[in-house]
Amino acid sequence: MGSFSLIIDGQTVEVEEGATVLQAARRAGISIPTICDHKDLNPYGACRMCVVEIEGVRGYPTSCTTPAAAGMRVTTQSERLSTLRNRTLELMFSGHPNSCLVCVHREACEQHRPTATKAARSTRCGFCANREECDLRAMALSAGQPELSLPTMYAAYNLERDDPFMDRDYNLCVLCGRCWRICEKIHGKPAISIINRGKWARIGTAFNKSHVFSGCTFCGACIDICPTGTLTDRFARWQGKPEAETGSACILCPQGCAVVAQSKNQRLLAYTMPAFNRDASLCALGRFGAAQMVNSNQRTTRPQVREGEDLIPYDWDAALKAAATGLKEHAGKIAFVISATSSREERYLYAQLATALKGQMHLVPAHALPGDPTLTTIQEAIHGQGALALLMNGPLLGGVEQSRMAFSLVIDALHSDSSEQASVVLPAAMLSENSGTFRSSTGEIRQLSACSQAPGDARAEWRILRDLGQTLGLDGFSYTKVEDITRAMDNAVGEDAAPPAMTGDPRHNVRELITTYRGHQVADIVPALAAFGLPQRSMIQEESTAGSDNGFPILEKKEIVPNMHFFKIQAPQVAKFALPGQFVILMARETSERSPFTLVDWDADTGTISLVIEEVGRSSRELASLRAGDMLAHVSGPLGQAMPVEKRGTVLLGGGCYGVGAIYPLARALKQAGNRVICGIEASSSYLLYMQDELTQVSDQLILATKDGSEGVRGGVQEILVQTAEREQVDQFIAIGCTFMMRMTTELSRGLNIPTLVALNPIMVDGTGMCGACRVSIGGDTLFACIDGPLFDGHAVDWDELASRRSAYAPQEIQALSQGVDLSALMHQAHGPTDTHQCGCGR
Amino acid sequence: MSVEQHEVQDILTQYDQDRDNLIPLLQDVQERLHYLSPQALSAVAEHLQLSENDVFGVATFYAQFRFTPPGLHHIKVCEGTACHVRGSSRILDTITRTTGIEPGQTSEDGLFSLERVACFGSCALAPVVVVDDKVYGRMTSAKTQRLIEEKK
Ligand code: SF4
Ligand code: SF4
Ligand code: SF4
Ligand code: FES
Ligand code: FES
Repeated sequence: MGSFSLIIDGQTVEVEEGATVLQAARRAGISIPTICDHKDLNPYGACRMCVVEIEGVRGYPTSCTTPAAAGMRVTTQSERLSTLRNRTLELMFSGHPNSCLVCVHREACEQHRPTATKAARSTRCGFCANREECDLRAMALSAGQPELSLPTMYAAYNLERDDPFMDRDYNLCVLCGRCWRICEKIHGKPAISIINRGKWARIGTAFNKSHVFSGCTFCGACIDICPTGTLTDRFARWQGKPEAETGSACILCPQGCAVVAQSKNQRLLAYTMPAFNRDASLCALGRFGAAQMVNSNQRTTRPQVREGEDLIPYDWDAALKAAATGLKEHAGKIAFVISATSSREERYLYAQLATALKGQMHLVPAHALPGDPTLTTIQEAIHGQGALALLMNGPLLGGVEQSRMAFSLVIDALHSDSSEQASVVLPAAMLSENSGTFRSSTGEIRQLSACSQAPGDARAEWRILRDLGQTLGLDGFSYTKVEDITRAMDNAVGEDAAPPAMTGDPRHNVRELITTYRGHQVADIVPALAAFGLPQRSMIQEESTAGSDNGFPILEKKEIVPNMHFFKIQAPQVAKFALPGQFVILMARETSERSPFTLVDWDADTGTISLVIEEVGRSSRELASLRAGDMLAHVSGPLGQAMPVEKRGTVLLGGGCYGVGAIYPLARALKQAGNRVICGIEASSSYLLYMQDELTQVSDQLILATKDGSEGVRGGVQEILVQTAEREQVDQFIAIGCTFMMRMTTELSRGLNIPTLVALNPIMVDGTGMCGACRVSIGGDTLFACIDGPLFDGHAVDWDELASRRSAYAPQEIQALSQGVDLSALMHQAHGPTDTHQCGCGR
Repeated sequence: MSVEQHEVQDILTQYDQDRDNLIPLLQDVQERLHYLSPQALSAVAEHLQLSENDVFGVATFYAQFRFTPPGLHHIKVCEGTACHVRGSSRILDTITRTTGIEPGQTSEDGLFSLERVACFGSCALAPVVVVDDKVYGRMTSAKTQRLIEEKK
C-alpha cells in the first residue's frame, strides 16, 4: 500500500492509502469533534459534527466518511465550520435534556448538588448517571455556554428496565448508531436496530421485546460504546467514572476470558470487553454478574470455627491453628475437593498440601451439577479411600457426604450450606480480588491482576494455603508473593493440565450460561439471572401484599411528568386528621423501607389522600412501579407539625421538584386565611412543570420559572423571589423542594429580610431509616424533622451539616439502587414476549 | 403449523434468500394477513438470514406496514396540511378518547383500529376521516363521536 500526503490546516500530513480525512487529521494531532465515529466501527456519517472544508469540493463534507486523497487541502477550523457544528449540537440538544448546560445556577449547583438524586430518567444533564463520561456533554461544555435557541422537545420515553442488567433511557439518545453497529459487528445479527421513522425514530428491538428475548447476549458492548448516558449498566450506573482499568481475566468459568476490570475505591464496578470484536466478547455472567457477585452481601468475611452446635468467629491465627489440627489428625484420610475455576497457583498449593498430608486431590469441573457423573466418581473414590476429613473450596459435594466426615474445612468466598456445616470456615478473596495465573480450558495462560479489596477479613486463597502450610509446619510454603508460587510451579510441574471445558457457548447464547460457580448456584447470588431460566434455590415468591386485600388501595396513579408520580390513596384515618404541612410514611410492601411524603391533598369525606412522589431512589422506585388497584402495605400519618395558618399579608410559596405539589395545601390554607398568595414554581424545562391549574385556583398569582428559559422566568425560585420582592412587599416566604434550592433561596431571603420557612423532610433519606437521618441543627438546637418539622425557620438551619449528613448516606443508597431489580416484571414476561397474559396473574 | 404459518411459508417459497427481497416480501405478507405479526416477521427474517430487529426496523420505517391486526372498522384520520389546519389533531384526540386506542393500535374488543394518513386528496372536505374506505368530510368532534357510536 502506498502512502501520499495532503495538507490539513496548512500542515503537510503523510498517510497510508485508505485513510479518511478524519484519520489523517488525527495523525497530525489535529482534533475534529465527532460523535458517531468510533475507531472500532466503520464510518457512518450520521452526526455531521466532523464537517470540514476541502478546496475544490462543494459544501461541507464529513471528514469521517471522506477518503483522504493526495494533494487535498483541508480546513478543519473556520467560523463557518464552528457555526455549522454548533447548529448540529444545538439540534442534538433540542431533543435532549439540556437545561443544566444553560442553567444560570450551574456553578452553585455543582458545588451543592444533592448527591442522592438518583432519578429514574435523566431529565437534567447535570444529574445524568453518565455525566462524567459523556462525549456529548463534554463537547457542549467545551463549546462554551451554548445558547440553545431551538424549542425543547422531549420524547418522554419510559425508562426501559425490563431485563436483568441494563437501564436504557432513550430520551438521551442522539441516534449516533454506535450501539447497533457494534452489536452487528460483534454478533452478526444485531439485537437492536433503529426502529420507527421521523421524530419517533429510536433504537429498539422487534416489537419492543425485552432484550431477554431479542437475541441480546448481554455482552455490554453497546453500553461501553454509547457516547451518552442512554445505555447503562444498572449495577454500575450511579457509581460514576471508574478510577482504574486493570487487564485481567474472568474465571467464573473455564473459558477464562480476558477482561478489563473497571474499579473505583477498591471496588469492582464491572468486567468489560478488552476490545470491540467478536473474539473479545464476554458472556452476561462475566460482564454483569461478576461485579454483583464480588459485591454480594453473601460474602464470607470472618474465619469461623465450630464449637459444638455453633460456628464461632475466630481470628486468623487461631482459625488456622484449628484447621491445621483438624487436618493433621486425619492425615492420610483427607479428600481435597477443588473447583476447576481455581487459579493455577491455588491448584498447585492444594496439590502440595495433598501430597504432604497424603490426601487425594479431586478436581470438580465448573459446570458439574449435582448428579453429574464426575461427581459420582469423586464420591465413590472418597468412599473407597475411607476419607474422614474433607477440604473444599466451595459447596462442591452434597451435604450428606460432608456430614459423614469427622472434620471438614471450607475455604470459600461465599456463604453456603457447606460452610454452615463445616468444622472450620476460612474466608477467601474472589475474582477481581485475586492475582495469579489461570489456564483456560483451551490451554492458554491468562494473567490475573487484583483491582479490588476483599471484604472484611477475607484473604487471597494462595495466602490462606501458604499460611496453612506454615501452620502445619510443612516445608516449601515460604512464598511471599503470588509470583513466587507461579515461578515455583513453572519449575516443578512443567505443563499443568487445562481444566475441563464447559458445555455450551454462553458468550454467544445467553441461554447457555453456566449455572454454578464453585458449587454455588449463581442465580442464588445474582437473582436477576433467573430471568434466563437459571435454577435458583428459592424461586422468587410473589409478594403477598401487592394485589392482596390488606392495606391501602391506590385509587389513581399516573406519571404526571417524567419521574413525578401522582397517587390517590384510600387512607381514611389520615384524610380525617390531616393538616397543611404534614406528611405520611409509606411502605409499598411489608418488607419495604419506610419513606416520608408530604400530603398534597386530602378529602375527609371520601377518605382519600393525594401525594406527588418523585422517583429518585430505591423506595420511591418501588412505589412508582405500583399501579392503580394495587395495595400499599402501610400508610401512617398524618405526621409532623402542621404549618401555623395566620394572616401575614403577602405570602410567596416557592416549589421545586416534589415541592410543586407540596406547596398546594399550604397555598390553599393561606389563601383561605385571607393572605395574598403567590406561588412560584420551578422546573428545569417546560415539559417538567406540573399542577399549574391546581395552583392557579388556590393563589392570587402563579409564576413559572425554567432553568432553560423554555417557559416563564429564566432561572428558578431564586429569580422568582428576587423579582417579586422588587415588585411588592413579601411578608412571608416558604420554600419546598431540593435542599439546593431551599438553601439558595434562604440566603437570598435573609438579605431581603423576609421570614422564611423551609420543609426539611427530604433529608429523611429513603434507604436508611428515618431516625438517624432526620436530625437537624436549627439555631444551635438538635431537632428531629419527623417530629419537630418538617417546616423550620430557614435562616436558622445549619445547611452545611445537612449537606454532609445527606452525602454520608449516598454510598449505601447507590448500593441499594443497584441491587433493586424489578424481577417481577420480568417474570411476567418470562412466558414469552407475545403471550404475556398467559401466566394468569391478570396483568 | 397454523393457517397463518402456512400462508407465510407459501409466500416465502416464492422468494430467494436475497436482502433486496425484504420489502416485496413484507408487502406480500401484509397483503395476505392484513398486518405483520411477530411470527410472520421472524419467519421473514429467518428466510433472509437477517436479524428480526433489523427487519422490524426496516418495516417501521415505512408508513405502509401495520403491526396489529386491523379492527372490524378501520379508521383513518388525515393529517395533511389542510386537515391539520382545520383541526385534525382534535379529531384524532376525540377518536382516541372514545375508542381508547392510539394510532397504530386496535381496540381490545377488536372493533376499531386507527391510523394516521398523510393526505386523501379530499382537502376541500377537510378535516377528513375515513372509516372502512368511506370518506366523511368536514368533521367536528361531535360528528366524530356520533360516527363512532353508530359503528359500535
Ligand atoms: S447523556 Fe450526556 S449530555 Fe445527556 S444528560 Fe447525560 S451527561 Fe448530559
Ligand atoms: S449487550 Fe451486546 S448483544 Fe446486547 S444489545 Fe448490547 S451489544 Fe448487542
Ligand atoms: S443509544 Fe447511545 S450509542 Fe446508541 S444511538 Fe443512542 S446515543 Fe448512540
Ligand atoms: S463523526 Fe463524522 S458524521 Fe459523525
Ligand atoms: S445546574 Fe442544572 S438544575 Fe441547576
